[in-house]
Amino acid sequence: MNAVEVRNLCFKYRNSQEKILDNVNLSVMEGETIALLGGSGSGKTTFCNCLCGLIPNVYSGEFSGEVELFGENINNMNIAKIVTKAGMIFQNPSTQLFSPTIEDELAFGPENLCVDRKEIARRMDNVLKTIDMEDYRFENPNNLSGGQQQLIAMASVLMLDPKILICDEIMSWVDQNGKNIIRNLLLKLKEEKRTIIIVDHDLENVKISDRVVQVRDGKFY
Amino acid sequence: MISAYKADPRTKLTTVLFFSTISLIYEEIWVLVLILFLSAITALVMRSSLVSILVRLRKLLGVMAAIAIVQSIFIKTGSSIAKIGDITLLTDYGAAKALEFILRLGILIVSAAIIATSSSREIVQGLVQWHCPYEIAFMSSVAIRFLPLFKEEMTDMVTAIQLRGIDLKRVKLKEKIKVYKYILFPIVINSVLKAKELSSAMVVRGFRAYPQRTSYMVLKMNYIDYLIIASLSAVFIIIIVSYL
Repeated sequence: MNAVEVRNLCFKYRNSQEKILDNVNLSVMEGETIALLGGSGSGKTTFCNCLCGLIPNVYSGEFSGEVELFGENINNMNIAKIVTKAGMIFQNPSTQLFSPTIEDELAFGPENLCVDRKEIARRMDNVLKTIDMEDYRFENPNNLSGGQQQLIAMASVLMLDPKILICDEIMSWVDQNGKNIIRNLLLKLKEEKRTIIIVDHDLENVKISDRVVQVRDGKFY
Repeated sequence: MISAYKADPRTKLTTVLFFSTISLIYEEIWVLVLILFLSAITALVMRSSLVSILVRLRKLLGVMAAIAIVQSIFIKTGSSIAKIGDITLLTDYGAAKALEFILRLGILIVSAAIIATSSSREIVQGLVQWHCPYEIAFMSSVAIRFLPLFKEEMTDMVTAIQLRGIDLKRVKLKEKIKVYKYILFPIVINSVLKAKELSSAMVVRGFRAYPQRTSYMVLKMNYIDYLIIASLSAVFIIIIVSYL
């Protein structure tokens, strides 16, 4: 079974004349790392929003086609189910972090899903170990570098243990050192056989992917 | 035991509610001074960095003083203590009202300093354990979290304007208002975009996925907290009964 199956996906934002996604078809196998490469306004972020249910639930517009995660249509899934299947990390780390400590930040997602306290603690220990930031547990995310902030944003999504990780230009706000740290983490997750979708406009940032799909004017090539 | 005591956020909230409410009940200057003194002592006992907060608010202190002076000038009740010819500039009643205003604001600032000794997450948790809806408590904490970002945005915009050759310190007030009008528009747009990004980040982390949520942080009050809350509640009831 494919992790992601997208068929004839079209989307047009409200008040927009043109379709931002035009008859998109894509299959992503479980455990595969795929890169979506394209310029600004090509429809990459909109596609990611469709995969994690932000479209049509949060951003409204004309939506048609099918998006399936592990064989289940996203329209038939509630938020709790979607977030455990597909986790999304955004470009700007500062608007994804809103808690006074890293511990609070990491606990936010599982708390929303009514995960037991002991289980939250177990996941937190594992995730902090994975990103190698155990010593920062009680730090304020605002005091971290851009790269570290992005790692925390990734960790907070990993706390939900999603099967698919969608990274929407997550390296665009960080320096070279931060990019290397994030790339290493993605490699680690790839080795764990997690399905990863990396969206970027820079080929250098998607070198770890198994396959590259070009995105141009809302079409995939 | 007391030296190692760390007040529960709910105790702090009760203390703040107590001081700020009684400061509105009383008008006597000496009572307000006493409340300010007691609240400052409480803030220091709770290890609040009161001095640094006052330093940060020094510009606001100037505004407070200016409002108090303007307010006292416009109050004509009472006997005159300063006048030019037949025009009364300041009355004793006006001066008392101005002092009252400054003392009340002082109590509010010191109360905020007490609250600031807990993190926003602890305050949210305190409110949630008081059965306040999580969404409302969380919303207020996020608003506080984003105030510095708003300020940062404002500073960036002002710097951008200055780099284009406009020295805001030298332009006339009319021009200054015009420049700030240009600055405010992109700031509002950026804030809306940031709020949208934040809400998306929250949704993909399951915000409001279920009507209830668990909490990794759990606050526990000890007997000192109960004692403080009970004492403050008793004093408050006595004040209200004697006032009525």
